[in-house]
Amino acid sequence: MKGFLINNKFLFCIYFLFLLPIVLYSQNYIDQQNLFSPESRLKFGSYLYSEEDYLRASVEFREYLKYVDNDTVRFKFATCFYKIGRFQEAADNFKGLFTSRNLQQESKLAYYKSVFFQKNYSLFRISFNNEFHIPWDYKDEIKRLYYISFFFDNSVLPDTNNFFSSFPDSNKSVIKQFYFRKKFPEYKNPTTAALLSGLIPGLGKIYVGEITDGFTSLLVTGVLTFLAIDNFKHNHNFRGWLFAGLGAYFYGGNIYGSAAAAQIFNAGVKFNFDSDVRLYFEKRNYLLPEIKL
Amino acid sequence: MLSRFLIITFILLLQSSCNFAQTDWVKWNAQEVSYTIDDQVKPNKTAVNQTFPLTVVSFFRNLYGLFISDLDGDNCPFYPSCSNFFVQSVGEAGLIKGSLMFSDRFLRDLNLLKGKNQYPLYKIGKFYDPPYNYTLSQEKIIYQIPGKVID
Repeated sequence: MKGFLINNKFLFCIYFLFLLPIVLYSQNYIDQQNLFSPESRLKFGSYLYSEEDYLRASVEFREYLKYVDNDTVRFKFATCFYKIGRFQEAADNFKGLFTSRNLQQESKLAYYKSVFFQKNYSLFRISFNNEFHIPWDYKDEIKRLYYISFFFDNSVLPDTNNFFSSFPDSNKSVIKQFYFRKKFPEYKNPTTAALLSGLIPGLGKIYVGEITDGFTSLLVTGVLTFLAIDNFKHNHNFRGWLFAGLGAYFYGGNIYGSAAAAQIFNAGVKFNFDSDVRLYFEKRNYLLPEIKL
Repeated sequence: MLSRFLIITFILLLQSSCNFAQTDWVKWNAQEVSYTIDDQVKPNKTAVNQTFPLTVVSFFRNLYGLFISDLDGDNCPFYPSCSNFFVQSVGEAGLIKGSLMFSDRFLRDLNLLKGKNQYPLYKIGKFYDPPYNYTLSQEKIIYQIPGKVID
């Protein structure tokens, strides 16, 4: 072995001379590239953005924007927040682009969209009414969004003429339906339901659409009342009072339950309206244009 | 001579490896992690307000559970069951209102024609009918679509 090493020492020297620089410079290629330079950040961020990985893309864009001020990247950065539902941050960042030369109109539109989807409808309307940075290129879209916002909260609906005129003809018939459903919801009055059940047990339940529950209440209270009267007639006072008490208890419970059923019914009407409206507008992207950079 | 050369070469190799190894550790800027629980996510350990009526109702519910319900079986078609609904109603709205809520529930339970067109379904197949929907407080109502299965 020793003889082998001595005889081939030249070969060994060459071998180690090759090996040494490889090890020395093996990591340096990555260092030379500098993956964390602003350009690399932008490239990686753009890749993540195209892959719809908006959260991580926003991190890369933020780092890039520390070194380079670029409106397109800033817009993309704000869009990342918009896409992941962080509408407050999106609105704040879009606001910073209101003085941008190229993306001024788009950023104003995106700002209004962010405020809208933040469900801050009052701020949206105040901004619109005060003409706060209205994007004039997209004024019709913002106006439509303004009117759509009335479907989503309890504000008083505006006049029909202005309301319907801002929507395209193809949508008008459905919008009219929504408008009148919102204006005149088919609510049931809990007091009426309670009074009806006070008049005839179960009638309040029938009024709110719980027909079988209503008849059950009528039957139970009727049977208990009959039993109470019958027992009193036959001088079974204890049983008479027992059935009378039970009858009164269920009678009271039925009045209470009718009012509660009316409230649940109303919650259902509101829920169905909200989901119908949301589904309709979401399918149509709230009648908004898609901005592509 | 050769062995000395080999040793020096080996040390150089080792040194260079050590110099350039684990450089990522510096690049990624490892963050210090705090394991203290944020105030906002601390579990709320406040005890339920155990009023006297609730204690009495719970006592009778336990007696009913021990001597009747456990022997009779799990027959109530609702979730929570009528007896639990009573206890929860009293806890939610007090004795008088809770009793009215229970009597209404009992009447609805007697309805033989009730179905999934009226109530959402709990995951175990029972009708989901929580007491907070019956407190006459519109804000507390959480509407669930009838027939929808709830986890």
